[in-house]
Amino acid sequence: MAADASHYPEDYRAIIHADFDAFYASVEQRDYPELIGKPVVVGGKSENRGVVASASYEARAFGISSAIPMSRAYRLCPQLVRKPPRFEVYRSVSNKVMDIFRSITPLVEPLSLDEAYLDVTRLETSEITPPLIAQELKKKVWAELSLTISVGVGTSKCVAKIASDMNKPDGITVVRPGTEREFLFPLPVQSIWGIGPKTTERLNSFGINTIEQLSKRDISWFESNFGSNSLSVRNMCFGEDPRPVVTHRERKSFSSETTLVDDSDDPEILREIVIRLSNDVGQSLSSRGISGKTVKLKLRSSDFITSTRQRSVLEPIQLSSEIADVAVDLLNHELYKKNSYRLVGVGVSGFGSLENSQDAMQLRFKGF
Amino acid sequence: MRVSCLQQNLSRGLSIVGRAVASRSNLPVLQNVKISTEDNMLVLSATNLDIAITTRIGAQVEEDGEITIPARLLTDFVNSLPDDRIDIKTESDPLMAGLTCQRFEANINGTDSEEFPPIPTVDEGATIKMDPQVLRETVAHVAFAAATEDSRPVLTGIKVEVKGDDFTFAAADGFRLAVYEGKLTEPLPEDMEFIIPAKSMQEVGRLIGSDDTEVEFTITPTGTHALFNIGTVEIVSQLMPGSFPNFRSLIPEENRSSVTVKQEDFMRAVRSAAIFARDGSGIVRLQLLDGEEGGRISISSRAEEMGDNQSEIDGSVEGEVDEESKIAFNNKYLSEVLDVLGDGEIAFEMSTASSPGVVRAVDKDGYTHVVMPMFVQW
Repeated sequence: MAADASHYPEDYRAIIHADFDAFYASVEQRDYPELIGKPVVVGGKSENRGVVASASYEARAFGISSAIPMSRAYRLCPQLVRKPPRFEVYRSVSNKVMDIFRSITPLVEPLSLDEAYLDVTRLETSEITPPLIAQELKKKVWAELSLTISVGVGTSKCVAKIASDMNKPDGITVVRPGTEREFLFPLPVQSIWGIGPKTTERLNSFGINTIEQLSKRDISWFESNFGSNSLSVRNMCFGEDPRPVVTHRERKSFSSETTLVDDSDDPEILREIVIRLSNDVGQSLSSRGISGKTVKLKLRSSDFITSTRQRSVLEPIQLSSEIADVAVDLLNHELYKKNSYRLVGVGVSGFGSLENSQDAMQLRFKGF
Repeated sequence: MRVSCLQQNLSRGLSIVGRAVASRSNLPVLQNVKISTEDNMLVLSATNLDIAITTRIGAQVEEDGEITIPARLLTDFVNSLPDDRIDIKTESDPLMAGLTCQRFEANINGTDSEEFPPIPTVDEGATIKMDPQVLRETVAHVAFAAATEDSRPVLTGIKVEVKGDDFTFAAADGFRLAVYEGKLTEPLPEDMEFIIPAKSMQEVGRLIGSDDTEVEFTITPTGTHALFNIGTVEIVSQLMPGSFPNFRSLIPEENRSSVTVKQEDFMRAVRSAAIFARDGSGIVRLQLLDGEEGGRISISSRAEEMGDNQSEIDGSVEGEVDEESKIAFNNKYLSEVLDVLGDGEIAFEMSTASSPGVVRAVDKDGYTHVVMPMFVQW
């Protein structure tokens, strides 16, 4: 879809959804140029029950997609190149791209490491229009990070998100105000956020395949099929999605967990894992400038029994070391059971109803 | 080994090397202290592999020897003893150290000192000479800004640069940067730079205490270790590999407005705001205001559903003062720098709500502290 860069009528929002193309795999191809053009996946080893976390477009051509077991990926493509994930690198790239986004507007809502919504409504001037901003965004990301993003420009979050997916990789899709139906109606129902494979199957069995067919149903039909979501699903069929871009979504907790390669009952190994996970959580908290009062330890034993232990502290904490102190102590109280564990998790919650978790953010030095 | 020393001396020596005993380690011997003899001295050493501390105490040596024993156990026991002579005698089979003081006796099982990691020796290299109080003050002004997490290991270090007799110490954790520039007591023939763990420098600062003998530190030619000589104490620290980010580019070259206030006033206002900021991200808002005599700075914070607070202090304001002259910080970052600056006049410089603020002490030329603000809805 060509980017018509003319001005927007008033009263329309301009939302951009930006999404890296095959994020982890592209970062690997960027950092290891010998991988360019090759089927590359990022994920754990197949002998360690690894799954594909990200697949390059070359790998996708073999039918490999994320979340499939690594062993199956190798069967689909024996010449596959697997790289172990380097999350610190992805996180740092993610921080950089979010900085680039924020250099354009403070109204950035990160959805994950590799995608975000930007509200650029108020940035329109006599020279600048949302499609031009989107082009500029792509250029900037390429110039600074040597990675491609796909962007969608719409009048709501749902349209922008669907649009960004239309021309991957390295695509730009602009759905101009007033053309939402034209854009959405021919698309399959599963394009709508929240309609997963199960629902798609059910809708298809009713003969509903496209968004247009879905949009023709009346309210009561939606109510009996989508329950409490009926109104928002129906509105999305028409491209209506009033959700604002929120710079900080209120998260109730931050956590990190890991499945052990081999189940372990070794106190030292378990403590080390708890400390590492506390570090992950501490970083999430400090990068957002928030602190919590409750630390939770999650353990899943070899016989798949999951238990959680939590403790609240008086003063909110944020630092990894403080989180680790509490989490390790919680762990110490479990060790007497001499259980063997297959999964360990650490989380922090109890941020309170603060202005801060919602709309404040500690800024970082550029490049740090 | 058979030696005698005074309880007081042994206790002090153990408290010095105790700072380098590993608290948690995969190598149990690191939780030990090594005791050996040398020219009628008892030598105590401990290391956690990042840092090693060695100190010597006066002793009467009847038979040379060496052993390592659990530091915690030994320290607690020695501290429980009366201030009198302690006799130490080691047995080799089984390996143990026997301590006797008046009618107190203890046997502590030991580990062969062969298993103790060798303390790196630093015999050659460039030696930097500094006034101990200058070094201590520099460390106090810089080290707290270093990162405490090792997601980016170099940021847990202090970047040290030496040019002639000028030195620069800098530390940054991504949100703030502290830079101290000053003079060595003697110029160094060659320029040099290295990164040293902030923790090591904090130990050095602590051990200097009120000592006023010149501190010498030697950097190995390979740039892997630094050795500090502070009186009877030697500290060997690892230096950190990697490159430190260009911190000079983080210091704003100019500012839109600045205000000079008394540290005492500023500190009190920030502390009082911090009470209301405690539950949140510790957000403290500053706003520069015009005033009859020079200007004012307003410091405020709020706690949702609980209340808010606001205070004003007088100061002299320069530059633009308007609606844009406001900025928010995590109170911890403000209090920490104000705390270390101590009494005197503080200059606070800012440009916009989203660009870094700078805190300086009017009477400390060489010090610059840059803090990133918090993005808040005003």
